[in-house]
Amino acid sequence: MITVEHLQKEFSYYKKATGIQGSLKNLFHREMLTKKAVKDISFSVGRGEMIAFLGPNGAGKTTTLKMLSGILCPTAGKIDIDGFIPWERKNAFKRRISIVMGQKNQLWWDLPASDSFYLNKCIFGVEDGPYRDIVTELSELLDVRELLNVQVRRLSLGERMKMEILAALIHRPDILFLDEPTIGLDILSGQKIREFLKIYNEQWKTTVIITSHHMADIQALCQKAVIINQGRLVYDGRLADINTFLGKRKLIHVKTSSPVAQEEWVSYGQVREMDAAGAVLEVEQDKVRDTLGAILSGLHVEDFTVTEIPLEESIARFYQKEVTPL
Amino acid sequence: MNQNRCVFLMGVERAMEYRVSFFLSMLSAVFPIVIQITMWNYLYGHGDGAAVFGYEHEQILLYTLLAVIVSQLAGAGFEGEVNSDIKMGGLNKYLVRPVSYKWYQFFSFTGQKVPRFLVAAPVMTGILVVGAWQGLSLSAARILAFLGSLVLAVVLNFCIFYCIGLLGFWLTDVDKLFGTVSIVLTVASGGIFPMDIFGGWVEFVVNLLPFGYTTQFPVNVINGRFGWERICLGTGFQAGWILVFACLGEWMWRQGLKRYVGIGG
Repeated sequence: MITVEHLQKEFSYYKKATGIQGSLKNLFHREMLTKKAVKDISFSVGRGEMIAFLGPNGAGKTTTLKMLSGILCPTAGKIDIDGFIPWERKNAFKRRISIVMGQKNQLWWDLPASDSFYLNKCIFGVEDGPYRDIVTELSELLDVRELLNVQVRRLSLGERMKMEILAALIHRPDILFLDEPTIGLDILSGQKIREFLKIYNEQWKTTVIITSHHMADIQALCQKAVIINQGRLVYDGRLADINTFLGKRKLIHVKTSSPVAQEEWVSYGQVREMDAAGAVLEVEQDKVRDTLGAILSGLHVEDFTVTEIPLEESIARFYQKEVTPL
Repeated sequence: MNQNRCVFLMGVERAMEYRVSFFLSMLSAVFPIVIQITMWNYLYGHGDGAAVFGYEHEQILLYTLLAVIVSQLAGAGFEGEVNSDIKMGGLNKYLVRPVSYKWYQFFSFTGQKVPRFLVAAPVMTGILVVGAWQGLSLSAARILAFLGSLVLAVVLNFCIFYCIGLLGFWLTDVDKLFGTVSIVLTVASGGIFPMDIFGGWVEFVVNLLPFGYTTQFPVNVINGRFGWERICLGTGFQAGWILVFACLGEWMWRQGLKRYVGIGG
């Protein structure tokens, strides 16, 4: 459904030294620089899939989403979305997509959200009946029914974000781009939006590409992840396989009845944490069984668990340039 | 509902959303009227003839009153929004929707003019009735010609200021420019005093430029200063300048979008 091939985007900007002297110099001469925001990215997304598009700040996520939605034209490369080239901005294409940006208000600030919804209805040519059904259904799911006639500028961040999502879905798009939809939201608002997106995706099979720095969003919603760093693709695969990709390691949490010396813990594996009550060891996945056997026979173990390396930590390794681009 | 009609109605709604701001903006038209009438009364009171710059005292007062109302009706004010959309990435929401930004701004702009028109219409009618009582010759044809020229003036002013707003694609911060341009264009359009008082080549140049067709021309249609030949020629100029600025706006939009970076996200 979505195919991205060798996508690149460069921006021009100019350098300016600090202070008045820099400003004066700038009046007569500007040194132009080029920033490569996206460097040769390729990936694909299937119909109805919900994928996480991850990367640290400045990695090129939003730029890529803007190219996918047709806001920006790439410097090089191709995007094919069901036969459409986004930056040609054909109306037929626009009727099939929607984008929500967590840090960019798309509703009309001085008017109630219901007016923005109605304008979207008119713009997308949604019939009266389906429009009423959509607004009723989604406002109930998002718990904002009572707020539809309140001026957007008077809504809280969480309420506004729910309205943004609702406005984006008025025309039932096939593809939804979500750029940090839970940024700055409290736990409950974030959770509500996650639940809503999950239900909506299951019900309507909408293809969703979501960027977020909240791992709770990603773990709750996505099966697949595309990770970029400094504009380059560093991972494209299942979320569950990230650990395998990074070296198949696991964590063994051990609780002991008496304190164990650090030297002894080290003999079992890489010590991540330790105190008088136990330790957390990182070991290779194929050595878990042997290590556990050794620990159980060598120490007075009260309890133990084996877990994956937390997703947040694995993804942080991609962000810390520890992984070679694909 | 048709999307343009919906945008138009939203424009009406937006104009009335902040009542105090709306009434203050209407009230703000009173101050230039008072200042100019005082100034003209002084000039005519201390002049040596009945006519100054080719205008009788009553004629210049009528011109002043009508020009303020016409410039209020034709006045833009959306160019800052266009510039801000370009500068702050607000264009994004229009680029991803099947809507034309130009037509969106046009219908929103004309929608926002409706409440202003509803207030201005009775005031203008009152001025014209007093004018007619003082000897102003009015006919149905002239009133129709005036309304036509007023509509074209609104469209022309929209096209001019749309192009000015689109400068944001090339100049990041043009807020200061808007203030200067607005003052210069208000004067050049005859919004403060009639530009034909200068006579000679100034009047010739003003007649060629588009700005006078946004205020001075409609006023001169209704105050009887222009004959039918001049009205037809002026209407041709209005239409021609609308075409020129519409094409320029289209070109600027296409070229500008290539530079657009859709900042923020």
